[in-house]
Amino acid sequence: MRRVAIGMIFPLAVTALWELAAWAGAVSGDSFSRPVLVAAALVAAVADGTLLRQTAETFVSAIIGLAIATVLAVAAGAVLGLSRTLERLTVLTVEALRPIPSVALIPVALLIFGFGQNMTGSVVAFACFWPILIVTISSVRGIDPRLIEVGRMMGLPLAKRIRKLALPAALPGIMVGIRIAAGIAIVVAVTVEIAANPRGLGHGMIVAQQSLHPDLMWATLLWLGLVGWIANWGLLRLERRWLRWFWAQREA
Amino acid sequence: MRRLASAASSVAFLTAVIAAWWLVAETKLINPMFLPGPQRALATLWGWIDSGELWDPLGKTVWRLFAGWLVASAIGIALGAAIASSARARELLEPTAEFLRPLPASALLPPAVLLLGLTDTMIVTVIAFGTVWPILLGSIHGFKAIDPRLIEVARMLRFPPLARAFKFQLPNALPEIFAGMRVSLALALILTVVAEMLSSQPGLGHMVLVAARAFRSADIFAGIFVLGVLGFLTNSLMQYLEAYLLRWRPAHSEG
Amino acid sequence: MSAGAPPVLAARGVSLAFGTPPAARTILSDLAFEVPEREFVCIVGPSGCGKTTLLRVLAGLLPASAGEAHFQGRRVAAPQPDIAIIFQDYGRALLPWRTVAGNVALAFEARGIPKSEHAVRSAPLLAKMRLAEHADKFPAELSGGMQQRVQIARCLAQEPRVLLMDEPFGALDAITRQTLQDEFARLCESEHRTVLFVTHDLEEAIYLGDRVIALAANPGRIVEIIDVDLPRPRRQLETREDYRFLEYRHRLFQHLGHE
Repeated sequence: MRRVAIGMIFPLAVTALWELAAWAGAVSGDSFSRPVLVAAALVAAVADGTLLRQTAETFVSAIIGLAIATVLAVAAGAVLGLSRTLERLTVLTVEALRPIPSVALIPVALLIFGFGQNMTGSVVAFACFWPILIVTISSVRGIDPRLIEVGRMMGLPLAKRIRKLALPAALPGIMVGIRIAAGIAIVVAVTVEIAANPRGLGHGMIVAQQSLHPDLMWATLLWLGLVGWIANWGLLRLERRWLRWFWAQREA
Repeated sequence: MRRLASAASSVAFLTAVIAAWWLVAETKLINPMFLPGPQRALATLWGWIDSGELWDPLGKTVWRLFAGWLVASAIGIALGAAIASSARARELLEPTAEFLRPLPASALLPPAVLLLGLTDTMIVTVIAFGTVWPILLGSIHGFKAIDPRLIEVARMLRFPPLARAFKFQLPNALPEIFAGMRVSLALALILTVVAEMLSSQPGLGHMVLVAARAFRSADIFAGIFVLGVLGFLTNSLMQYLEAYLLRWRPAHSEG
Repeated sequence: MSAGAPPVLAARGVSLAFGTPPAARTILSDLAFEVPEREFVCIVGPSGCGKTTLLRVLAGLLPASAGEAHFQGRRVAAPQPDIAIIFQDYGRALLPWRTVAGNVALAFEARGIPKSEHAVRSAPLLAKMRLAEHADKFPAELSGGMQQRVQIARCLAQEPRVLLMDEPFGALDAITRQTLQDEFARLCESEHRTVLFVTHDLEEAIYLGDRVIALAANPGRIVEIIDVDLPRPRRQLETREDYRFLEYRHRLFQHLGHE
């Protein structure tokens, strides 16, 4: 409780200073607005549903991209994690594609999908693919080799070895990768919206800025921070709960 | 011998992927408006190099990237050291930092445009503010995580606080600072491209977006190729720097 | 034995307790002894008797609750350039990002010696500690024994009047330990070093010391002080088989019980 109170001092001081500066006319209302107006804009935008609609648009794109990335990356990661030969074969291709900044694909996505959730989703999928792939490869590789040998001894084909043995054993590690990717998904979704796609929270901020509504722009930024923080916190809680279940089962 | 064979096979695989791309484009399996063949993208790239069209936007992008990243590094390391050295500062600032950290760095763009306009300064500022977090957190943690025994050594040798910071704590924090700087550099490239797209300032980001609006797909892929190479080179540069400056670390401990 | 020489280092009724009175835990209780110039004094005691804590108080790293540590007649309130301490955990006490030569130079930097003189000054030290050909290696590239040599070299570079040593050879394997014991004993003999050496190994204490102070635990207190009358240079076999050695060992063992 004391920690929370002390942690609030700094942001409250900044807010107070901001308000004071606006009152004294030290900063221009055109760009800085004022905390009181920002709060009012936040309440209004939540009340009329604008922020909620934009949030839904951003999150749907992010989730579509994350889902596609998860399916593809877990499948590819499981195969590459099990087979050293395949991993050696593809390493150069992976290293050639991975450094491409995800936003460089915005023009391609724009060309193929036009505006809309699929455009954002495809860029998100590219960005999220790599962390999940790498974590999956290393978790699958970290599985007790005896478990894989058991599968071989029983004569299970590769597909079954992956589904029945490798994936369940590597699940805790993969979950961590997905949580990291989920954070990336939201960041990339907002980024694509800001750069090119006229929908979601990112575009909301741009519109507010261009139509000279700094109060709404700051309010959207604040909202974005809140939503991102809550999503992050929720995923951490979820992961902790799920992983505890996994570990408990493992020990039993 | 084995390594040579495995390198050859991985080159062969990449060649096969490019050949497949060429085949798909040649047979028009995918509309060439979306997917030009690799030879067309390379021809465009060669045209840029030949005419010298590439150097100006590339130079501007690289300049912004490094200017923003270096400012972020300086701020992140210094601020991290200050926060780590004071429990009071940590209590005061860490919750705010934790709140701001998951915020998309690109969300800084609209306010920055509002305050600074569509300028180079705006782009560099956004990169600096947007990429400072991994470095800051790495610096705080690295400065905090010094072995108490080393502090005792510093006390026995009676080094004043500033010498203690430079001779003991900074080198001790370097591995984590570098890890943060590597993440930041990748982030900085993304932010540079986005900022250029948004601000219409000449640069690679602007170049590819204009190409997309004109449906010139070969230009887009040539641009992506350049950006990919840039990403690869900056990351490699950081890796070599790390490997050299942190060569004192025991070989088995990675990360 | 130089009985008339003034003490370099002295504990005058040193006590140390952690916590507040009703729940306080006494670590050290009213310790008093002196370390005369040029003497090698060992402190031996079971784990938990506070011998490492005592060394920290004498080094000025930790204030005593009562009593005082004295260096050349003055109270030790903070670390002093004339007092060097060699820690047991050599792996944590060296700067991993500096080479052997760089770690030794740290002491020169602390003394404000210009950089141009570092190489000239460290060369004889490195040679003495048999580190000359390892000067450009990083600690992680050296064995434990080598790392401890580096720490000793760094402390000698400090040019202290007294060396405090906290179980310096305790973490080394038996062979390396004996080698370092002998090398270090020769060095102290030839340079007439004043040393306070803490160990839990009572044979090591007798073998190295001119005098052995035995501590008991809970709270840490002096139970016996033995003047060791064994010829120098000491030798691993002959010294340890000397009847006086066995007698000292017997006496200390009875005080300290089983290890």
